[in-house]
Amino acid sequence: MTLRLGLIFSTTGPYAALGQSALAGALGAVATLRAQGVGIEPVIRDPGGDAARYEAETAALLEDGVQHILGAITSWSRKEMIPALERGGGLLWYPCPYEGFESNDHVVYLGAAPNHHVLPATDWIARQGMRRVYLVGSNYVWGWETLRLARERLEALGVGIVGERFVPLGSDRHDHVLDEICAQGADCVIDSLIGPPNASFLRGLAARDPGRVGRAGHVVSFNQTEADIDALGPAADGLLSAGSLFEGDAGAALKGAARRFAPNGRVSAFLASAYAAVEILVEGCRRAGTDAPRAVFRAATERSVATAMGEVRIDPVLRHAAIAPRLALAEGGRFHVIERAATPLPADPYLTAQRARVPPRPDLRIVR
Amino acid sequence: MSPAPLHNFAGRSALVLHRSDGPGRNIVARCDRLAIRARMLRGDVSPEDMAGIDMVILDIDTGDDGQLPWGAGQAPVPLIGLVGSESPGRLAWALAQEVDAYLPLSALGNLFSALVIAHETFARKAERRRREARAAGRAAGQLDVIRAVMALAATGGDEAVALKQLRAMAMVERISLENAARRILSGGRDARAGGR
Repeated sequence: MTLRLGLIFSTTGPYAALGQSALAGALGAVATLRAQGVGIEPVIRDPGGDAARYEAETAALLEDGVQHILGAITSWSRKEMIPALERGGGLLWYPCPYEGFESNDHVVYLGAAPNHHVLPATDWIARQGMRRVYLVGSNYVWGWETLRLARERLEALGVGIVGERFVPLGSDRHDHVLDEICAQGADCVIDSLIGPPNASFLRGLAARDPGRVGRAGHVVSFNQTEADIDALGPAADGLLSAGSLFEGDAGAALKGAARRFAPNGRVSAFLASAYAAVEILVEGCRRAGTDAPRAVFRAATERSVATAMGEVRIDPVLRHAAIAPRLALAEGGRFHVIERAATPLPADPYLTAQRARVPPRPDLRIVR
Repeated sequence: MSPAPLHNFAGRSALVLHRSDGPGRNIVARCDRLAIRARMLRGDVSPEDMAGIDMVILDIDTGDDGQLPWGAGQAPVPLIGLVGSESPGRLAWALAQEVDAYLPLSALGNLFSALVIAHETFARKAERRRREARAAGRAAGQLDVIRAVMALAATGGDEAVALKQLRAMAMVERISLENAARRILSGGRDARAGGR
């Protein structure tokens, strides 16, 4: 039996670098599994970063008999795909960090949830004694929700928010934001911008205020990875990011996939999650003895699955993967993990377990 | 942006009214992940069942007024209605119960949205009722004000002086004009003596 796997990633367009990284992970896993005799036929589609095309591409694949799709980078594109998945009975394996507050019966969420990225990163900011934080994000759901939560969390921890701005998607006119950051003397900028505007913003910030570059945590991101860090240049030095995996923790399988399939040759959380998604899907099919989505999901979630990222357990009710979050600082285009959770943390997409409290670093330990 | 509505239900209790096991169990499992203590109930709800309950999630297809220990539209907690058949009669019943949010049984993944909407709707409804009760109280008091002014004027002076006296009394006692009028009508002139 050959499993047909839809791969819908924008490998062209404004966030092509992220799509290329995720696609590389998927293709790496397909190649490895094929070598082990598992038949998988990838069906690749590129919506070019145009949210409006995701629904049609998804519907066309499902009509063509594809039942499992690995894809989407942004929440916007995922939300476009969901109606088609619901109509066609398909299952989306979504490999990216996102802002939470979703649990759709046709999606498996493999990336970091807010308790894996926003909470550890904001708690870290508070522990550093930073007192003046500026929030900037793209004007869509990722920016809105991550910054809303960051504000709520930081204020509860007694950290002041000195400004908050949302920039239209794709716009790189942010001089007024840079003016405000400098005027307010923000010691930390939380950056939820996405795509090329993020690079021009960080380069602009470094040019305007060179003294901050290199200082640990002068910029904090909840989703910066190796997929597009090269575009930031030295402006990224000192940037703190939270994520499910950084390059230094990658094993041979992920490194091999990156060498073979990633245009920049690098491992990112996108690549790793996409790689693991294919492994989990195939194991689910093997356990279930079918590729019918409901049966595969049941089988894949009844116990954990061994993947290139380690054992991954997916909550059968909330449909999210448990992840051991890491915090890492960028230097010279590489991330250095400074803290990592000892064990995987179940995703808490609705943040029901959270109460405002001063966190005595509950699950993270220092690594040097 | 406007502040987020109530969106953390951790520690609250829900009663799930459903006559079949499958959907009921699904909802209880989802509630569990949202840190809501949910209990499934198949039959009628007694007042004792409602002790400590913060919300009720009920099946519109099989619901009836006799099942619930309150009159239509008088639920003491937010109601989340599960939509199954979409028959007009069933929806009419749910509307009469003033269900606060609707959730299609085919979309249980959106339970969270329904909870947020139900709690916000319930809170606004309660606020509207309080405002209406206050307005109704004021309207009903207008006749008392007229009667009190006439009673005061009858003891000497004219209506303008009587109204001024009534206002002064309301201000000193820190009560509404309508309540001051009621005191005068019930307790005679020296309402202050019988006040507290």
